[in-house]
Amino acid sequence: MILSGKEIQKQVNKGRIILTPFNEENITTNSYDLTLGNSYIKYTGKIIDPAKENKYVVKKISKKGLLLKKGDFVLGHSIETLGSEHYVPIIHARSGIARVGLFVHVTSDLIDIGSIGNVTFQLYATLPIKIYPSMPIGQVSFWVPKGKIKLYKGKYQNSVGPRASEVHKDFAEKNLIKKTN
Amino acid sequence: MILTGSEITNQVKKGKIIISPFNDGQVNPNSYNYRLGNEMICFDVKKDKKVSRKIKIPAKGFILSPHKVYLASTYEILGSTKYAMSLIGRSSIGRLGLFLQVSANLGHTGSIHKWTLELVSTKKFKIYPNMIIGQITFWTNKGDISLYKESYSKYNCPKKSKLEEEC
Repeated sequence: MILSGKEIQKQVNKGRIILTPFNEENITTNSYDLTLGNSYIKYTGKIIDPAKENKYVVKKISKKGLLLKKGDFVLGHSIETLGSEHYVPIIHARSGIARVGLFVHVTSDLIDIGSIGNVTFQLYATLPIKIYPSMPIGQVSFWVPKGKIKLYKGKYQNSVGPRASEVHKDFAEKNLIKKTN
Repeated sequence: MILTGSEITNQVKKGKIIISPFNDGQVNPNSYNYRLGNEMICFDVKKDKKVSRKIKIPAKGFILSPHKVYLASTYEILGSTKYAMSLIGRSSIGRLGLFLQVSANLGHTGSIHKWTLELVSTKKFKIYPNMIIGQITFWTNKGDISLYKESYSKYNCPKKSKLEEEC
């Protein structure tokens, strides 16, 4: 089950969903609109290798906007801190953003239950597009879980600003397959 | 409703969810992390004609070219006769700009196999066989279920679109 906008608001009031700062105008029928923060990450290496640390720079998006060229990939972030220990958040683009060819995540829409922080937007432009600080860019919906809840305690907890991937930290250990045959 | 990690483990024990091989360490709060199999189909365009070739992903890794589609598959057999599924990426991999599918995330109830992944990278990207690459979520159904019996679910290797055979 997906929460309605009215139910999202109720759950925010009860403290069971965190959406800070909260603005009633950002409530939609089945989601809450998320706005773009003013810093972003760009990887600087020629090849992305998940087994190694990938170098990046952190830059600011000025009020005049940042032009993403066709094919550009950067990590932005939501101004909002969000999460829930009771519902599962899922991130989406706003339809108006998708219609101009901008992805806000790269097939990783799921936020673990118990994960609290700024969302890192995985911005991939299929056409040239200018992005501005504070623009409504994405939305988050909330879903009812079934089963015993174990809260997220991962490496991206309490994220502030965009967070680069840290997959290299446990890549070797996690990717080991125990040979049983 | 979306199953929690504990519920996914329960349903695997009951046989209502198939994850093979299953590893406790790959269970997340609301999903299960799957690995990348070692077979892949690469596409090239030669004289306006698409040609494909199968490759094995070497242990030292394979570099994907940006903005191209590659078909790979999950290492695990994944599926359920009770729940619907969504095959998605992990945030750690999404943050590096690798798509795991091209807006076709829905896994039908009854479909149990090694899933074909549509890999698209936004930059040059090195992949390794058996790396933990994506995640799958499980969702409760409402209503009577007619199990998925379409032909893609027979395949345990990357499978090209049937549309290609038709045109």
